[in-house]
Amino acid sequence: MENVCEDEVYSTIYNANSKTLYNYIYYKFGNAEKANDAIQEAFIKLWENCQKVAPEKAKSFLYTVANNTYLNVLKAEKVRLKYATNQKDVSHESPEFLMEEKEYQQKLDDALNALPENQRTTFLLNRIDGKKYAEIAEMEGVSVKAIEKRMHLALKELRSKIDGI
Amino acid sequence: MEENYLAKWLNNELSPEELKAFEQTEEYQSYVKLKAVSSRLQAPEFDMEGTFAQIKAKTAGDTAKVIALKPYKSFLRIAAAIALLMVGAFAYLNLSNESVSTEIAETTKLTLPDASEVVLNADSKVTYDDTDWDLQRNITLEGEAFFKVAKGKTFTVSTDLGQVQVLGTQFNVEARKDYFEVSCYEGLVSVTFNNTTQKLPAGASLLFIRGERMERTVTNREHSWVNRESSFERVPLQFVINELERQFKIDVALENVDTEVLFTGSFNNTDLETALKSISTPSKLNFKVSGDNVLFYAEDTP
Repeated sequence: MENVCEDEVYSTIYNANSKTLYNYIYYKFGNAEKANDAIQEAFIKLWENCQKVAPEKAKSFLYTVANNTYLNVLKAEKVRLKYATNQKDVSHESPEFLMEEKEYQQKLDDALNALPENQRTTFLLNRIDGKKYAEIAEMEGVSVKAIEKRMHLALKELRSKIDGI
Repeated sequence: MEENYLAKWLNNELSPEELKAFEQTEEYQSYVKLKAVSSRLQAPEFDMEGTFAQIKAKTAGDTAKVIALKPYKSFLRIAAAIALLMVGAFAYLNLSNESVSTEIAETTKLTLPDASEVVLNADSKVTYDDTDWDLQRNITLEGEAFFKVAKGKTFTVSTDLGQVQVLGTQFNVEARKDYFEVSCYEGLVSVTFNNTTQKLPAGASLLFIRGERMERTVTNREHSWVNRESSFERVPLQFVINELERQFKIDVALENVDTEVLFTGSFNNTDLETALKSISTPSKLNFKVSGDNVLFYAEDTP
């Protein structure tokens, strides 16, 4: 039987989950350094408990540990997320358009930072990581319906912030 | 519009009719833009390999420590075993077996860990385990002692002749050569002698002389010797003299004395002259004292 203690299995789990886990925590923290600490903590805990955690349970184990780590860190700290946007396909646009885009980008960043943590995390996991609602529901430990609700509210809130309504 | 329709729209789950209706709304274009721009968002760079190397270094550190300790393991095991044996032996010899004894003409009082009291009569010894007294109250007695036992778990007095078990009470146990006596002053005690167990209520005394069973009643509140007096009720004179020799530093010699005659009475444990009179008068004996030697002889002996 496969065992998380085996290097190969452990590496596979890392490669499959580390990036999304990192992003997930980043969306919550808004701090790259802390997200890195949190995922290191989660994977070290997984290694320490490799005898007890079955490979198919490893993912939810990682999210639980990372989440707990997040809860233990100063929640009061103001979230300051920065998102790079892929600009390649807009390089031929007019300077006015680019200016407008930059402004829009700034508004979006501000609106995202102002969102409740769970709405922001859901929105970004879907938009950036392409996660399906069902997957996000599993990470967050809630129903798909709850994720749809968060997504709906996030879109509504972002649009009203950006449009200034 | 359906519940959470924005989420459904983003996921392309709206029915054609719903989609049409949504496209008619004035905010539709804003959502389209939001959808387009947000799809181009990127999370910060994540150094997947570098982080994995860091995790590996941290987890490998733990393993390395364990390996480093291994050469000492067997040595540590032996050292620990030796240390344990030494501690055990020390505890066994010094701590576990607390022992108190008295010489002839001496009595002493001791308090056990649970505040039970033991008064030890002359030429007697008690041994008990100090360390696990909470778990089992076992005390070994050679000679005679008066016990005031604090309420609690079973309190057992073991002697060469018999065993006494109580829960909390006052009683006296005397275990001498051929002589085993238990007197209960309060509560109930359980006496085991020659494999038979008997309950002894307050005010009763059970006596075995050379294996012969006798019952007595107890009148005083405490055993008399505690108050420096030795009392006897129909006890062969030999045992009375044995007790006398324990209470005073004397050697007793007998001349024409029937030691099997039953003696009822008491003698004072502090004054030899009075004690000798107390024994000799009712027994119709005479006595002579020279130094540490006492001679009892029949009155009609020339």
